[in-house]
Amino acid sequence: MGASGSGKTSMRSLIFSNNPASLTARLGATIDVEQNHVRFLGDLILNLWDCGGQDAFMDSYLTTQRSTIFQHVGVLIYVFDVESAEMHKDLEYFRDCLDGLRAFSPEAGVFLLVHKMDLVRDRGATFERKKKELQEHGDKGLVPGQPATSLTVFGTSIYDESLYRAWSSIVHTLIPNAAVLSKHLSIFAEACSATEVVLFERTTFLVIATSAPPPAAAALEATRYERTSELIKAFKHSCSRVREEFHALEMELPEFSAVLDEMTKNTYVLIIVHDPTIETAALKLNIRMARRKFEELQGLT
Amino acid sequence: TMSGTGSTPRIARTKILLLGQRRSGKTSINEVLFNALPPKQTFYLEATMRVVKHAYDSVIPLEIWDCPGNITVDTLGAPLSQFSALIFVIDIRDLYKQPISKLVEFIIAASHSNPQLHVEVFVHKAEKLQEDDKIENFRQIQERVQDHLMERECEQMPYNFHLTSVYDHTLHEAFSKVLHKLIHSLPFLEDLLNVFCANSQSPKAFLFDAASRLYVATDASPVDSATHNLCCDYLSMLNAFGPLYRSTTSSDARLRIPAAEPSPDNRSPAETKDRFYPSAAASLHPSAPGTTLTYHLITPHLALLALVPTGVWEGRRGLLEYNVVFFREGVQEICAVEREARGG
Ligand SMILES: Nc1nc2c(ncn2[C@@H]2O[C@H](COP(=O)(O)OP(=O)(O)OP(=O)(O)O)[C@@H](O)[C@H]2O)c(=O)[nH]1
Ligand SMILES: Nc1nc2c(ncn2[C@@H]2O[C@H](COP(=O)(O)OP(=O)(O)O)[C@@H](O)[C@H]2O)c(=O)[nH]1
Ligand SMILES: [Mg+2]
Repeated sequence: MGASGSGKTSMRSLIFSNNPASLTARLGATIDVEQNHVRFLGDLILNLWDCGGQDAFMDSYLTTQRSTIFQHVGVLIYVFDVESAEMHKDLEYFRDCLDGLRAFSPEAGVFLLVHKMDLVRDRGATFERKKKELQEHGDKGLVPGQPATSLTVFGTSIYDESLYRAWSSIVHTLIPNAAVLSKHLSIFAEACSATEVVLFERTTFLVIATSAPPPAAAALEATRYERTSELIKAFKHSCSRVREEFHALEMELPEFSAVLDEMTKNTYVLIIVHDPTIETAALKLNIRMARRKFEELQGLT
Repeated sequence: TMSGTGSTPRIARTKILLLGQRRSGKTSINEVLFNALPPKQTFYLEATMRVVKHAYDSVIPLEIWDCPGNITVDTLGAPLSQFSALIFVIDIRDLYKQPISKLVEFIIAASHSNPQLHVEVFVHKAEKLQEDDKIENFRQIQERVQDHLMERECEQMPYNFHLTSVYDHTLHEAFSKVLHKLIHSLPFLEDLLNVFCANSQSPKAFLFDAASRLYVATDASPVDSATHNLCCDYLSMLNAFGPLYRSTTSSDARLRIPAAEPSPDNRSPAETKDRFYPSAAASLHPSAPGTTLTYHLITPHLALLALVPTGVWEGRRGLLEYNVVFFREGVQEICAVEREARGG
């Protein structure tokens, strides 16, 4: 949910349809609710409700459609245009939506995206200010004694990796066995003498799980996961423009070697190795041998 | 490799003049190509007040003169004879007289003092217009330039037009074509690429300047834009991956990339063997006859990108890598000769 023009349909088409950011300018306003079923990780089906944000629709969500909209919600994602000229109205609708959610789906996770961050120059400060404002506002509608809803706030833009970071952490809350996957990725990393192993969902390239992070001394770039999602998605898109389909990638770069390949039929794995004696061919062989185990973990066999 | 005046003044740099009206996009073009500025960020560039000379080291050492909009042949501060190419940038929506008369003044001056000068007109910001308007404005600009030159009885200078935009690959393709005209060793590089393609069953191979993503040479098969764009995007992904998983602890042991290009005479066999050259391969659709996009660094600046049948990549990798080594030695030799000729 979020005001009209805040960017909901744009981000949906980037994450789930592999469309480039430059094409989003052609999107028209969403009329009423657009429902989409996306298959995520095989048997996890996400039922996305993209709710058109014009006032007339918002008013109807909060009155006649209230129970339909707010029942059985797993996650509410509320999008705010960082440059919105009507922040007061946005906040009022947001609070009414939170009320609806507390009434019909009190367990739902709530994510707030402060969107179009590419438009502001002082990104860090603007984000902190907005975050504080939103969190204070979220508590306002509470009746005394009612527990506060925990709100997770991200700054996002369709023009950089921040969108992938936000959506990876949103879907992470929906994956039932994320912890088990992480444990096995750590074992796999060790078997490969890898610094790190990352598992991506195949169509969205969102990060599902990672091996235990390398020790602090060997610290890696903090934004590497979402940057990888963004880079691979962009390249997949380049491939599709020449009617080719991206399949796998291996690199021996000055500072590390890496293999990115299919793990199971709906996941991709990225192995990062810093030890210069490890051959990429060995990593590919290891992926082949681990495939069955990971299919089992996902309940695919 | 960027600096105000050029880091090694001793070597003779090939000079490119970047001209055009204020806000036509000259600085944007220079920054996007040679300073890895994301296109959207060009919005924040400030007006250029004086001539800024940018040195860039590629297969040949370049010096790009980014000029303010109001410069004339007389205020340029250097005779036109010093330059190898003149790139004139016109905003595609700017159909008025001014930019065209200015371009014509420069062409006439060049016809007197430097008839060898390559004059290239970038009709820029082309992505701003719909297809029909784009073609129409492009045609009108060409026609007006032609009419003006005819009026001034100056028809012998050759010049070319390109549609460009910083937001897509047209800028890279157009600038690459300008670059080709300035590389004297181009036929030798093309021969090496032809040999590589024939021996590796590759339908297409490019030698790219890795950082700017301009291609400096390609084999004899025709360039189709789609393949060029894919290679450009692949290179951009690899450039971005490079620093992403850098680790503070293990980089020392790993980093074996040569700091400078070796000259053929002071290279001992052992040294060549130890040297590490980054490489990568991306395979496209998994079915049997698929294509693999290979990447091999050739010198610190240049990378070979080739389309290779996946069967060759998987089944005859040794042969392919031998062909790369052969290609690399050839290119390094050409570069060494070039350097020597320029007094580097
Ligand atoms: N600068 C910038 N523009 C964006 C960003 N995300 C989306 N936009 C633009 O915002 C405009 C509106 O986007 P939509 O996705 O249609 O908005 P919406 O929230 O679905 O609007 P309704 O369907 O009416 O509720 C489009 O022109 C997008 O290109 C962003 O991160 N940065
Ligand atoms: N739409 C569009 N704008 C561009 C393009 N290239 C440059 N610009 C914009 O044009 C403006 C002027 O660019 P600048 O490089 O400073 O022009 P200069 O005065 O010729 O150096 C900037 O706002 C750029 O963002 C392009 O290809 N397309
Ligand atoms: Mg919409």
